[in-house]
Amino acid sequence: MSHSERSAPRPIAAGRVDLRVRIGTLELRNPVLTASGTFGYGDEYAHVVDLTSLGGVVTKTVTVEPRSGNAPARVAETASGMLNSIGLENVGLARFRDEKLPRLAKLRATVIASIGGETAEELETLLAALGASGSVGAFEVNFSCPNVAAGGARYWADPARLEQTLRRLRRHTARPLIAKLSPDVTDIRETARACEAGGADAITAVNTFVGLAVDLDRMGSRLGRATGGLSGPAIKPLALARCHEAASAVRIPVIGSGGIVTGRDALEFIAAGATAVQVGTATFVEPGAAPRVVAEMREWLAARGLARLDDLRGRFSATAAQEPAAPVAAESTR
Amino acid sequence: MSVTQTRTWRQVSACVRTHTAQGEGFRWLELEMPEGFETPVAGQFAQLLLPPPSPVLLPRPMSVASARRSRGRLLVGFLYAPVGTGTRALAALEPGAHVEVTGPLGRGYPLEEPGTPILVAGGRGVAPLLMAAEALSRARRRCEFVFGARTKALLVGVAGARLRLSRMGSRLHVATDDGSRGTQGTVIDVLERLAPGLEPPLVLHACGPHGMLAAVAEWAMARGARAHLAMESVMACGTGVCRGCPLPRSHAARDRVLAQGASANALQGNPEWAMCCTDGPVFESRELDWERVS
Ligand SMILES: Cc1cc2nc3c(=O)[nH]c(=O)nc-3n(C[C@H](O)[C@H](O)[C@H](O)COP(=O)(O)OP(=O)(O)OC[C@H]3O[C@@H](n4cnc5c(N)ncnc54)[C@H](O)[C@@H]3O)c2cc1C
Ligand SMILES: Cc1cc2nc3c(=O)[nH]c(=O)nc-3n(C[C@H](O)[C@H](O)[C@H](O)COP(=O)(O)O)c2cc1C
Ligand code: FES
Repeated sequence: MSHSERSAPRPIAAGRVDLRVRIGTLELRNPVLTASGTFGYGDEYAHVVDLTSLGGVVTKTVTVEPRSGNAPARVAETASGMLNSIGLENVGLARFRDEKLPRLAKLRATVIASIGGETAEELETLLAALGASGSVGAFEVNFSCPNVAAGGARYWADPARLEQTLRRLRRHTARPLIAKLSPDVTDIRETARACEAGGADAITAVNTFVGLAVDLDRMGSRLGRATGGLSGPAIKPLALARCHEAASAVRIPVIGSGGIVTGRDALEFIAAGATAVQVGTATFVEPGAAPRVVAEMREWLAARGLARLDDLRGRFSATAAQEPAAPVAAESTR
Repeated sequence: MSVTQTRTWRQVSACVRTHTAQGEGFRWLELEMPEGFETPVAGQFAQLLLPPPSPVLLPRPMSVASARRSRGRLLVGFLYAPVGTGTRALAALEPGAHVEVTGPLGRGYPLEEPGTPILVAGGRGVAPLLMAAEALSRARRRCEFVFGARTKALLVGVAGARLRLSRMGSRLHVATDDGSRGTQGTVIDVLERLAPGLEPPLVLHACGPHGMLAAVAEWAMARGARAHLAMESVMACGTGVCRGCPLPRSHAARDRVLAQGASANALQGNPEWAMCCTDGPVFESRELDWERVS
């Protein structure tokens, strides 16, 4: 049957679109999360964004001890994107638990706490302290920071290490464990499968791509360290490819991240197999980007009569160019 | 310093009212703000985002140079130099065009601090200080205004400033490196000459290139005067979340942050680095390690 033979979809009211999704045992109101490191600890934006309108807030990666971060320059804009070399500056476990989590709980946000460590032991310490906290809905383990000397993306690119570490972490919490992966690996399917085997409930694909910006006048890097992590619209096609690969390799949900600015961007990740998405750099441009993405997703689906996100998930087919898989995109809204 | 700052910034769509060339290579931009945008104070800044299609992704930080009400509307002015892709594209906006503005951001000058105020401007750093002079005059306080630049062409807005300052009973002192206007020399030379005739304590408010600010800070610290310096950094968010705009804290500031420990505001709780956007952009001279400021 060809595309044109199907009947045109009948629009439904936007309010009828059910955007709820599940990450392990955690149900999210909608699939839009803030990306770690781009929304602070959530409370910084609470006066302009209703945190309960989001699927959840992924907090800045927290480590056992506070970290001061890297020397400047820490950010540099590049074509349609930005490089960052923050170096995991964060307030440390104690203050995160005692100050930040109570504030987020008061704001009634669904909190996904991002944790980072140089060793499996450090991650265990974090989960031992936070794993039973009533204010954390899930944990995202940052296995993919490109900007630290030790315990960064390179260290965690080893599938065996990922699997063993997740097995150890699994013992410390009943909450969903999400493994956030680096795109800078030969085959993300291998790291994703290792996480699934180790007991992860979901994968986030992907963190920033390692990038370099050269200042010819100073013959040096535009950042304080040689390289940084590239984010923003520039990486969307790259991130989509990694996300699609990861989603096709595992049964657990995949959360897409990389260059998402609009509802359509988010839906492209869902169509490519993601269950949820994260909005990062777009928030620096527009503090209200994440709730706008939710609204745009809802409108797009309603205009096509799609009442559930599942009607779209994974509908993308690698051979769609020859044989349209389904008449989902009846007309363009933008 | 309050431990928990309440955040009042917003992102709004503002309309270009006036946009004209000023001095050699500068632009004056005045925006009409919609309701809900808080009136900025001198030293605060805003993030300006170009309408699509923009040649740049991130908004550009810009000091507020004036804030006034006209027919019930808040008008906010900026004085800037088109130096790169973003500011050059900004320069092309016509009256009636819209710009997304996030602000007011950061902490401004503590103009209420007692003492004889000296405002020190370097080049385009004059922007927030013109506003500071207005605010002081509304509070019926006289000030000394020191304005330095490499050459007279870069003394942007100097004629208007002289007029307004004299109306307020304040004095303008000009210095140029090449002697093409005012004293030949730097703002420090002017400060040296002025200081003996002024009633202590002196309190300086300055903005300009970091080299000049370091010299002003050193001068003030050597005399036991207080100096508040408006700093710059490359920025992404402008709101404190990305941690992208660090400035090196002094040893004293570091020790203070460590001593405050868990009671320090999280945004200010990094002992090593202060964030330009939220801890600043205005810093007292003793807060920063000037040897490491780049
Ligand atoms: C708090 C604050 C207040 C500011 N107030 C003013 C003002 O009142 N008037 C004014 O003209 N400019 C001001 N600036 C500087 C202004 O933000 C930069 O000139 C602008 O971001 C450059 O953008 P661009 O796209 O034109 O240049 P780009 O193409 O991004 O870069 C061009 C050149 O500008 C430098 N640059 C880029 N960003 C900054 C920055 N944030 N600070 C300093 N240099 C930078 C680059 O290193 C490069 O040399 C302020 C900056 C800050 C942080
Ligand atoms: C300034 C900055 C800081 C970040 N900090 C973290 C972090 O602490 N932990 C983490 O897992 N990812 C971090 N990231 C990566 C983002 O969460 C996101 O995965 C990435 O930026 C790609 O998405 P985007 O293009 O929507 O920004 C950071 C990104 C940026 C730009
Ligand atoms: S610019 Fe993001 S923290 Fe200052």
